[in-house]
Amino acid sequence: MDLASKLEKLSLQLVQKQDYLYSVTVGFERLESLLLSFLNEFGYITLDSINCRDDLEDGFFTITYCLQTKDRDHVVMVQTKIQRENASLPTMHTIWPQAEIMEREMHEMFGVDFPGHPTLIDFALEYWDNMPPLRRDFDTLEYVNSMNPFREQRGDALDAKEEMKKKREAKKAAKLKAQQEAEAKAALEAKNNPSDEVKNEE
Amino acid sequence: MESGFYGSSTDGSLKCKFEESGLANTHDIMEKAVRWFRSRSIFVVAYGTGCGAIEMPPTFTSRYDAERMGVVGVATPRQADLIILSGYLAYKTLRRVIRTYEQMQKPRYIMTLGSCPINGGMYWDSYNTIKKLDDYLPIDVSVTGCMPRPEAVIDGFVLLQERIRNGEKAGWEKYDENFEFYKENQKRVLGGHIDPSYETDWYNLKSGGKA
Repeated sequence: MDLASKLEKLSLQLVQKQDYLYSVTVGFERLESLLLSFLNEFGYITLDSINCRDDLEDGFFTITYCLQTKDRDHVVMVQTKIQRENASLPTMHTIWPQAEIMEREMHEMFGVDFPGHPTLIDFALEYWDNMPPLRRDFDTLEYVNSMNPFREQRGDALDAKEEMKKKREAKKAAKLKAQQEAEAKAALEAKNNPSDEVKNEE
Repeated sequence: MESGFYGSSTDGSLKCKFEESGLANTHDIMEKAVRWFRSRSIFVVAYGTGCGAIEMPPTFTSRYDAERMGVVGVATPRQADLIILSGYLAYKTLRRVIRTYEQMQKPRYIMTLGSCPINGGMYWDSYNTIKKLDDYLPIDVSVTGCMPRPEAVIDGFVLLQERIRNGEKAGWEKYDENFEFYKENQKRVLGGHIDPSYETDWYNLKSGGKA
């Protein structure tokens, strides 16, 4: 493919994920120049999204820039890795205006810094003073339990499994009883009323 | 002379009639009448938080027609008697809801839809959603379900009307009585950033502005 050979000149490897989706991994130092060459030379003019994945065990964030062509027929994911501690990325809002709000969200949710970004203020959260909530070392459950304790139960809570079992057994017994009653009734009727054959003979 | 609430008969027969029905004086009669009228004229501001907002249009339009019971929607909280909170509340939303509720004129009532305002619902472990709304605001009627159908919402209206008619203690009275309790809880989750600030007396700014 054309793009693959172009990237090979830059000693980068293009990996096909789906028939329209490709990915390329690049070092942090060459990220900005690669994004610019995707925009200016390869025709990937739209920035769809900037995503962040927290690889806590390995100690880095995986950042993915999704770029799309003008004809909307190809998507390339440009991936790079940055250190988790004091994470920082070059801001792209001068090239793609939509990057401003994506970077703002990433700053709020993961604590990634963007030097030169004009509006790194609160986005969805207000007055948040804890660790950024989507970092994996943020203990959500502990935070929730400390902020919002559970409602006290009324004390009449029942075990759903046992209750359903009891209900099923009761239903079964009722069905069996009804069946037996119907059988007994039929037998009684047969006893009281002589059968049709006997009637005819008489 | 025998019609109307201030009527007094010369032979005292009217007085006896009122005493029989447990109404001691004209003030009580007036109160009962006012409560009845109030219950039949509930103006609602539908604060659409969460997914329950989708139950509002069928409730108020021709299919279920809440207006036949005197329940009408209005645009602003200052005109409203009842605020409907129809789902989970994030901290950010709670801040606005508190402000909206305090703008409403008394008597004011709160109705919640769904299980999220009661115990958090499916958002019980969210880092940004409150679990028990009644810690922060007094709730008059909770309609349960996820989501409640318009019939259930109307049932909630009927229950609220009954409570108003019977003169039961409403949420806004509890809010005034336990104001410190509610404010403490609100400050705990909102970090004290509640507008307008209650440290400032906005009406007496010249005299220092200390409430």
